[in-house]
Amino acid sequence: MSSEEHDTFNKDQETVEEYAGNDSKTVNIGAGVRIEGRIDGAEVSDISGSLSGTIKSSNINLNSSGIFNGDMSGSDITISGNVEGDINSDQYLVVNQSANIKGTIEYSSLQVNYGAKIQGTIRHRGSVHSYSTDLDPIEKEDKIENVLNEQKEDI
Amino acid sequence: MSIFGSSEKKVEEKTTFNFDIDKENINQSKLAKDIKINGSIEAKDYIDFAGYLSGTIKSSTIYLKSNSYVKGTITGDTITIEGEVDGDIHAKDLHIKSTAKIKGNIRYNNIDIQNGSIINAELFYSS
Repeated sequence: MSSEEHDTFNKDQETVEEYAGNDSKTVNIGAGVRIEGRIDGAEVSDISGSLSGTIKSSNINLNSSGIFNGDMSGSDITISGNVEGDINSDQYLVVNQSANIKGTIEYSSLQVNYGAKIQGTIRHRGSVHSYSTDLDPIEKEDKIENVLNEQKEDI
Repeated sequence: MSIFGSSEKKVEEKTTFNFDIDKENINQSKLAKDIKINGSIEAKDYIDFAGYLSGTIKSSTIYLKSNSYVKGTITGDTITIEGEVDGDIHAKDLHIKSTAKIKGNIRYNNIDIQNGSIINAELFYSS
């Protein structure tokens, strides 16, 4: 992590802007903000902070300061930041030069700009080799939770 | 008259430019569309490949044209792919064009991928 990025993390928590009366289904995670959990049903998600968990949004934009851990699914996805996990795009996926991705990518249309770092598996949706029958991330997480609960009950 | 004069000049420049390339890069190999090779191709400078190859291909610069098919291993510094590849690719600079179809393992230092290409592969990045 560069010192510049480190500084933004240590900044005092700035007052969160309230989008009162906003029904545009927009998620905006500012730089330096950390979120853990699940985002579902969003239309536009703009991530400059750090998000761990699952996100399902038709339009996802992970900016260069953004860090994502987990499963991401959407139609139109642009990655300029760090990703560790799965990316599932059913339309356009653009990976910019500053991006650093570790994990599995499933795409329909993929553009990678020179300089991007990608480590992992790339699968084209609709190809014979595609595994698009995989559960979507939200269902997958539910299933994992169920298994964990069952294990707890056993104990 | 002046317009005609300038266009004539442009043509002249272009011809000289092409001539220079051929003169400087004598080690350019071009393998045409209807060629079929089982085995390995190795060159020092530049390979322009449009045919069918089952085997290995190694050169510093490799250009796989849009109707080419390679099954095997491709090793080079700068590799541009417009055709179909089934196998391993080792490249410092890898350019995947929109018509490309790739299956296999890709090891690279720098990559760019154009919209429209079909890739089912494992990517290994090294700096």
